[in-house]
Amino acid sequence: MTKKIIIFLISVGISLAAAVHRWDDSGHAIGLIKAKGGEARHPVTLASGNDRYMLIATATVIPPYAGSARVELKGRSPIPHEIELARPVVDLGVRHTPRFSDGILHDLRPRDRIALWVKMHPPKADPVCGMGCEEGYERAEYQGKSYCFCGESCRKSFEENPDRYRDQDSLRGNYTLAFTDTRTGRPVLNVPIQFTGKEEAGNGNEHQH
Amino acid sequence: MGTNTSTKGSFWSRNRVGIILTGIVLFLPPLSVLFQMTADTNFCGSWCPRMFFTWRTGMSLNEFLMGFLRSYMGVALVVGILVSTFFLGRAWCSHLCPIGGTMELGSRIVPRRLKIDFSSIPASPFRYGYLAVYLAASAVGLGSLCCNYCNFATVPRIFGAAFLEADLMYFLRTAGIINLGLVVVLGFLSRGGRAYCNLLCPVGALDALSNRLGLHFGKKMRVDPGRCNSCGACSKVCPTWSIAVHSAAKIDQLTCMPCRECEKVCPQKAIAYGRPT
Repeated sequence: MTKKIIIFLISVGISLAAAVHRWDDSGHAIGLIKAKGGEARHPVTLASGNDRYMLIATATVIPPYAGSARVELKGRSPIPHEIELARPVVDLGVRHTPRFSDGILHDLRPRDRIALWVKMHPPKADPVCGMGCEEGYERAEYQGKSYCFCGESCRKSFEENPDRYRDQDSLRGNYTLAFTDTRTGRPVLNVPIQFTGKEEAGNGNEHQH
Repeated sequence: MGTNTSTKGSFWSRNRVGIILTGIVLFLPPLSVLFQMTADTNFCGSWCPRMFFTWRTGMSLNEFLMGFLRSYMGVALVVGILVSTFFLGRAWCSHLCPIGGTMELGSRIVPRRLKIDFSSIPASPFRYGYLAVYLAASAVGLGSLCCNYCNFATVPRIFGAAFLEADLMYFLRTAGIINLGLVVVLGFLSRGGRAYCNLLCPVGALDALSNRLGLHFGKKMRVDPGRCNSCGACSKVCPTWSIAVHSAAKIDQLTCMPCRECEKVCPQKAIAYGRPT
């Protein structure tokens, strides 16, 4: 009996550690696609610093919506990404299955369920404001590492206090996986995605450009 | 001792591998026949048998019940499993589950020298420790085991990854790699192929409770201590390490499933699947 209690407690300990730990390079959002704008149940929070992230966005089409929806990753900076729709390998034609091509979910019908896999490769970011590095951004070296800056003010802030910013060159900020009806241009679902920095987003470093 | 049903004459016993393969064809890619009936592509969605019974912190009763509606096929599956187990033993696990079946059949083609023997771990206290955290952690907001660790999400994508980029993407993240590792180590590489089922399957843990509760009513694997000569042959072939042999073999109904491998090898015909007498 004592052995069983010990094993039970060991199992509780291991399981608890597994439950508490979050794998922050992927997230799952569950949402509803609605004609008047659907919502995801909760935002997906991803920790900055990885080269690759995976978002799984599952959604149900709520009647009476029917149509096609463009799917775009929107935010302050462009993030290279790929989107794939989960579908049957061999479609037996028993039920209707939407198609995904050229960034558009074609022929969504009421009560369809879709699961999109979004593989994102965020670029390095301005360590001060968190915006993704783009062509034309200023560059500077610090302790052998290259940093990009969206403008003069960010570069100055960095130079004044490099120790504060040197580990923050990963993308931060709020992004959205936006589903927009191709006919009306209206949003039918928004999935919020937050890239949080190691220093935690919201410390006053983000600014609007 | 239970009423013996002849092993040789039993359709379920003779054709277990074929029945498992049928389950794999019906549930898993490339055909995924049953999922396509409900506009799903795998167990994630209306067929999810695990998420609906987990209460998450901050959830209203209405949201909790909506989970049952969202996973209506999973609810039907789990209710069916629990009721059938009460009367017939864990036939879902032994014969029909495509996930456990895949891991067991997969383990059969792995060379014996590569196999890991987990039988020194007492399975029932471990699985109920896992189940306790599975239910409690999300209820009190500490985190979640549901979805993060799920062989019902992993195994179908192992099949699908050969055909679809979307299924391959499941493994291109830390959680996917860890889930694959768990399925490989606790499934394909484990002796008997059922260590994952035995230790980390929450449905299996609930199902085992139903099995134990139905011990005095339904069909179960039972030992006739008068016939048993304690040779231990049954214990060696049990994929769920449910049989302890001392003066006679004793079956742990919190882990046993009626695969009937023990019945096949018993030289004394001391183990049988049947009702209590």
